[in-house]
Amino acid sequence: MYKHPLMFKYSAVALGYGMVATLAVIYIGLIAVVVSYAALTVEYSQSVRNDEAAVAQLEARYLATVSKITKTDYASAGYAKPVAKTFVATQSATALR
Amino acid sequence: MRAQFRTRIRIVLVGIVLVAVLIVVRLYFIQIVYGQDYSDKADRQFASGSSGLFDRGSIYFTRKDGTLISAATLVTGFLVAINPQTLRDPEGVYREIAPLSSTTLSHDAFLAAAKKKGQVYIEVAHRLSAEDGQALAAKELPGVQVLKQRWRYYPGGTLASQSIGIVSYGSGDTLSGRTGLEKVYDETLSRSGDSLYKNFFAQLFSNIGDLLVNSRDAHEGDIITTIEPEVQTRLADNLAKVNQKYSSKESGGIIMDPATGAIIAIASFPTYDANHLKSVNPALLNNPLVERVHEFGSIVKPLTMASGLDAGVITPQSTYNDTGCITVNKATICNWDLKARGVIPMKEVIMQSLNMGVAWIAGQLGQEQFRTYFTKLLSEKTGVDLPSEGRSLMSNLQKPQQIGYSTASFGQGIAVNAVQMIRAEGALANGGVMVVPHLARAVRLNTGIERPIDWDKKVRVFSPEAARATAAMMTEMVDVKLDNGKAKIPTMSVAAKTGTAQLTDGEGGYYKDRYFHSFVGFFPSYAPRFIILLYTNDPRGVQYASETLDQSFLDLVHFLIEYYEVPPDRGVPTQAGAVTTPTP
Repeated sequence: MYKHPLMFKYSAVALGYGMVATLAVIYIGLIAVVVSYAALTVEYSQSVRNDEAAVAQLEARYLATVSKITKTDYASAGYAKPVAKTFVATQSATALR
Repeated sequence: MRAQFRTRIRIVLVGIVLVAVLIVVRLYFIQIVYGQDYSDKADRQFASGSSGLFDRGSIYFTRKDGTLISAATLVTGFLVAINPQTLRDPEGVYREIAPLSSTTLSHDAFLAAAKKKGQVYIEVAHRLSAEDGQALAAKELPGVQVLKQRWRYYPGGTLASQSIGIVSYGSGDTLSGRTGLEKVYDETLSRSGDSLYKNFFAQLFSNIGDLLVNSRDAHEGDIITTIEPEVQTRLADNLAKVNQKYSSKESGGIIMDPATGAIIAIASFPTYDANHLKSVNPALLNNPLVERVHEFGSIVKPLTMASGLDAGVITPQSTYNDTGCITVNKATICNWDLKARGVIPMKEVIMQSLNMGVAWIAGQLGQEQFRTYFTKLLSEKTGVDLPSEGRSLMSNLQKPQQIGYSTASFGQGIAVNAVQMIRAEGALANGGVMVVPHLARAVRLNTGIERPIDWDKKVRVFSPEAARATAAMMTEMVDVKLDNGKAKIPTMSVAAKTGTAQLTDGEGGYYKDRYFHSFVGFFPSYAPRFIILLYTNDPRGVQYASETLDQSFLDLVHFLIEYYEVPPDRGVPTQAGAVTTPTP
């Protein structure tokens, strides 16, 4: 039988098998990607949460320090308040050169 | 060709058989040879699946430079559970666990749990640190499981705890916000329990749109508050000192930006540490600043004054004849010192805190106008983003007896909550306009986008002129009267008013010797950055608010000036030169 050069080389059944195989591979690949994506997302969100927890401990120390400073009685620690404050009119930056 | 094909098939078959044999051998070793080891390892498993861990958005304080500091966040650690069926040495195990956590069961309860041989899982300790948990897991104690746990953590401890709120179990088995911002913004802070796997697959085959644009990202996020942690600490410290010094029942305070309603600090004493709820008196979980109403006393006088000025029934130059006492509807009301002043101008009403003066203004206003102003100022809910806001008690203004209006003019016979009061007083500081007090300024969505919350609802109650004239009287009170003039700051105008109200005795009368002290002030007087409201309930051994709260108020004013570098608004030369002022 004469075969035209542009005529399709494979039968419809073979093409069907090929497509099914390709789709199966794509599907398995998609599942692999999805599972990997989800696993990585969980891992990263865990990592973020762990970092946040570590930051929270630092923040607790900061707030405790603020509280300690606020409660400090500087007079009993030997410090004295300045007797006066002096306010001066600001000079322009140009005038200071 | 066929023989070659057969050979290939045999090779493949041999390969498959070999793999099968290898798998069988491996399974034999796993299940038979090392079976007990794996079983023990599973029993001590400490890295539980993360999908079941508690998750929730954070709440943040905002430092003055915009830095966010966690007010409520999550911490990951471990819990300890026992399997009574495999637990070998209960006494020894208890000795190992007890020192690691304050939440460990008591000795007797632990031993009782260990005897429950019908159970395989009983939690005996919670909230172990990561280090302690891993160290305990490494000991591989038979019958002891160390599991990952995540819980709510408040780095500030007691800091703004009544406003931040708590998370706990309600009637069901779900942790959710129960008080404070945790409750108000629960929907934003809660995280759905869907695991990523389940969610992704479900959406992949049902709703691809949601997968691309996650609807949860539109409403789940973190809450960013306007509370400044250092200011909050300062306010809380001052309130604790006042409360302890005068053995008050309770003390409270709010610092707010009068132009926007942003609450920079909000505190009350006594308070609690939300990290240790087991030892907390449940009554303390409520926020008294919004849930309790008080008769605030004379800090209401500037509101009466501004109402009279706004209505045009008086001017700052108006005078009245102060007789010291008057009788209204058969009841006698007097000035605080029972003394008459004669004919005096309006500013003396504020400066000397004269009940006769504001009662006279209330008379000039008439009942209907007075009711209209006070209903607008104090009767409506503020809209603050805190739960269970208390309703004001203003029924005296619904009655025809003038005595109710006369006493309301100096803050007795009407009761409001602290947020309502600072909102109303804020109108004097904000050109006559009331704003919505609020704690949250933005929601930071899961996508990272910061969505500001709209608090732009404003209500005008006074004209700018009436508000300014009242602020001027309050400023003169600070400059001349407060602490006998020593409180005056030469470089900063400060407007303030003290309030001392008699406490109700619960039988329709008032105690003669028990008081509610309040203090309100704002600065700079004519373009205020901050308004401060303080109160202390039933202080002992002292009569006037000027004695209990003035030092705290002034400390906060000086602190805020320094901390925010508020520029002087008076007493500084505009040309070259200098001015020296004594420090307080």
